[in-house]
Amino acid sequence: MSTQEVSADVTLELITLTIDGFEVTVPKGTLVIRAAEKLGIQIPRFCDHPLLDPVGACRQCLVDIEINGRKFPKPQASCTIPVETGMVVNTQLTSNVAEKAQKGIMEFLLVNHPLDCPVCDKGGECPLQNQAMSNGNGESRFDGYKRTFEKPIKISAQVLLDRERCILCARCTRFSEEIAGDPFITLNDRGALQQVGIYEEKPFDSYFSGNTIQICPVGALTGASYRFRARPFDLVSTPSACEHCASGCDMRTDVRRGKTLRRLAGDDSQVNEEWNCDKGRWAFKYATANNRIKTPMIRGADGELHEASWPEALATAAAGLSVNRAAVLVGGRATVEDAYGYSKFARVALNTNDIDFRSRVHTDEERDFLTSAIVGVQVNYSAIDRADHLVLIGFEPEDESPIVFLRAYKQVRKRGLKVTTIAPFTTRGSKKLNAQVIKSAAGNESQLISKISGLTSKSVILVGERLCESYGALSAALKLAQTSGAKLAWIPRRAGERGAIEAGAIGTLLPGGRPVSDVAARVDIQSAWGVKSIPENIGRTTSEILVGLQSGDIDSLLVGGVDPLDISADALVGLEKAFVVSLEMRHSSITEIANVILPIAAVVEKSGSFLDWEGRARAFETAVDVPDLRSDVRILSMIAEKMGKPINLPTVAAAANEFASLGNWDGARAPFIAASGTAISGDTILASWRLLLDAGSLQDGEVNLANTAHPSVAVISTDRAEKLGVKSGDPVRVSNSRGEITLPCEIKDIESNSVWVPRNSHTSKTIATLGIASGASVSVVKA
Amino acid sequence: MPFTNEDFTVIDSIINRYPRKRSAIMPLLHFAQARDGYVTNESIETIAEKLDLETAEVIAVVSFYTQYKREPVGEYHVGVCINTLCAVMGGDAIYEGLKEHLGIENNCATKDGKVSLERIECNAACDYAPVVMANWEFYDNQTVQSAKDLVDAIRSGNPPAPTRGPDKLPTWRENSAVLAGISDGRAGEGVSAGEPSLLGLKLSKEGK
Ligand code: SF4
Ligand code: SF4
Ligand code: FES
Ligand code: FES
Repeated sequence: MSTQEVSADVTLELITLTIDGFEVTVPKGTLVIRAAEKLGIQIPRFCDHPLLDPVGACRQCLVDIEINGRKFPKPQASCTIPVETGMVVNTQLTSNVAEKAQKGIMEFLLVNHPLDCPVCDKGGECPLQNQAMSNGNGESRFDGYKRTFEKPIKISAQVLLDRERCILCARCTRFSEEIAGDPFITLNDRGALQQVGIYEEKPFDSYFSGNTIQICPVGALTGASYRFRARPFDLVSTPSACEHCASGCDMRTDVRRGKTLRRLAGDDSQVNEEWNCDKGRWAFKYATANNRIKTPMIRGADGELHEASWPEALATAAAGLSVNRAAVLVGGRATVEDAYGYSKFARVALNTNDIDFRSRVHTDEERDFLTSAIVGVQVNYSAIDRADHLVLIGFEPEDESPIVFLRAYKQVRKRGLKVTTIAPFTTRGSKKLNAQVIKSAAGNESQLISKISGLTSKSVILVGERLCESYGALSAALKLAQTSGAKLAWIPRRAGERGAIEAGAIGTLLPGGRPVSDVAARVDIQSAWGVKSIPENIGRTTSEILVGLQSGDIDSLLVGGVDPLDISADALVGLEKAFVVSLEMRHSSITEIANVILPIAAVVEKSGSFLDWEGRARAFETAVDVPDLRSDVRILSMIAEKMGKPINLPTVAAAANEFASLGNWDGARAPFIAASGTAISGDTILASWRLLLDAGSLQDGEVNLANTAHPSVAVISTDRAEKLGVKSGDPVRVSNSRGEITLPCEIKDIESNSVWVPRNSHTSKTIATLGIASGASVSVVKA
Repeated sequence: MPFTNEDFTVIDSIINRYPRKRSAIMPLLHFAQARDGYVTNESIETIAEKLDLETAEVIAVVSFYTQYKREPVGEYHVGVCINTLCAVMGGDAIYEGLKEHLGIENNCATKDGKVSLERIECNAACDYAPVVMANWEFYDNQTVQSAKDLVDAIRSGNPPAPTRGPDKLPTWRENSAVLAGISDGRAGEGVSAGEPSLLGLKLSKEGK
């Protein structure tokens, strides 16, 4: 799927200048240091970063400059000076003055820099170490005492600061302010004591804090989880994609002797630029958790699970799935290739369209919306770059798709992009985006969407996955897009959901966006797969499958990566009666009742690809090779083989190739029948979403990361606080007939008839405890 | 000590002087010192909240300017200039003398809380070197002895009037309020540009 877009039609004014005797032509506004890069001339630098505003803090990039015969009296910082016509630049390569200036600066920087290289995490990949060698004097003339500081200090549970190593380049502080909008770290004090710091009562708990470690040009900022674990030259790096959300970050996984030690943000200017969020960076220990399943297991006549050989387990799975009426539930974390495997397996091996990837709260309206308006449609990050108005509905970007937040924030900061959000209250994220907040109780969004006016074809509407919980809202959003010409994109939370739609892991669609209801579409797939027929009924949804399992209409289930508590509090009940084949990584409530368990590989242990929210492919390779762990699709292929109904997808590559060869459907889409929501009422309606860092099982095992999570609070209005007689921080109890959640309250501008709590944090799990996600009545009392 | 409604009235009036509210940060920090004698965590949080800043951004300003204190200072904060001109004219000796006389270190206060001492950088009063300041008011052309007399007088409750400035030496908190832009009505008192300051101008006018 190609997402190349020609960038906007700007005419660039070009400027020609001379650097070290070579002429170079670059767009007006280019900095001298960048123009030099174009010629392959590397000027040493520390503070300069192409994605941060120029600051000229370190002075390492000094060069000699002359304009139309007039020479600057002193060497100039090439990272802050834009090119000009007739400029003649001499870098360290051709000017003794520049070279001497650079060596002098390097000597200054090293005056107070400790001789830590042998014990420093950065040693071996350190711009200071490297450039001291390439552009510094071998010897220092300084023989006094170096300034010392206590080292390191924790500026958050995850980020450690060694002030002795800091060269005060301000990359970290500029990143925090300019990119993340979280200026929780600043340059404090002055003179020789100048240092990076926090306000002592408020740690550096930004969702994006890890990026500062990555861009720190020295080892001043290190990660608590990686500190002292490896030397860079012992690591084997593999290009990866992040499995944690649908933002689609390009990543790099660094492995030492078969063990993942760190993950870094990759560089993809069209997607994550050079950033990622702390979850993507640090949440990878789940793959080595001790409840990991390593061998196949079969439930014996004694009701217990027993380890089994692969052939035995595959045969038992195949037998169970053959004799029964089966359905497929595949979680939203499958790769495109795996989702395609499940999709084909359902149709070919099980002869059913009863497959749904939505292992979460879902509706029929949502299914139809995805089938008609989302599958096959691409809206890109660049649409945000060019938007005249960004509308967010049922979507909190900082928590639910962090890179979308960064991109929107960049545009707000650079050019005042107008943002409107329909949300229960003004979050910190909406404040940063300077958004106009249209306040809505959860469930009432459809009533407010029609009030948004003034959208044009350059506007972008982003709807969150949880908007489906508000009946009629997706229909209203689609109508708004259609009447205004604005672009509409749907942003799921999980990395595999968009790919699952395209792969046809849902009852209304076959791979490539082909509607099940369309006979030509079915014929297409029949001939591609070489099968006699494809079932023609629309398949059951996740909830219909659960009902079918309860009633006995369905008596066996193939399930991959599903947590029943993401769907509903009672989802597990029906499963207990059925013959369950579970493809899983770790023991869970599903494996407790499964008849056959087949262990699968984690993302770092396999290759594959995700489609991010844009629909853009994010491919990754195997970083850690574990011989006995395979991607789901290979296992499905083996089961199908045993069933005598082969799907012929023996490898991830085979699945990828076959899926690509099918191409996209260009026929008619299934028509969308709009649903119309009615205003909901009630004294206290629950709103919730998942915070970025919460009790999600893929964050297991990383305590330092968990300790930077935003606190769980119940958001209530001033009115309610007065009525309850509570002030911010006092505990309140949110409850219904099923259970209760007690949290400190925070008083915000939420509607008086609403209360908001986190959906899946350690002290607040709405589905498990209250049996609801949002939009239903609860009561709130002082605890 | 929680901020009162009266405090907030002052804070709002200071903020209202500026087209962008974050510009009010420095006067507000002086106001905080007028209120509590130094910048408390409570003030940092309140100012951040009022100005839509992060607390770390407030800390950056507080820690950059040595005029802002994170610990209580004396009722009279005495600064001795130790930059080049004052230093050679006797500033270094004055500082050592006061340190010994008061029995305190740099940036510390006497036990009675009356006087604190700080080495300060050039005050742009080199023409009266060596200078000593008390609560940022000038005492010009000092000697070790005159400086000792000054702090003794302060401690006994009878500070002499500054050489230039108001007729009576204000307390640390009073002058912090003035720096916050809250007038004490004494701006017109005392000399401002004295003879040594105007000497250069005079000479150049005479064409010398
Ligand atoms: S901590 Fe690193 S990134 Fe931050 S100012 Fe110091 S050297 Fe630069
Ligand atoms: S923003 Fe999403 S894709 Fe990027 S690192 Fe974070 S969780 Fe992963
Ligand atoms: S790189 Fe130019 S001043 Fe730092
Ligand atoms: S050196 Fe003391 S006032 Fe200038």
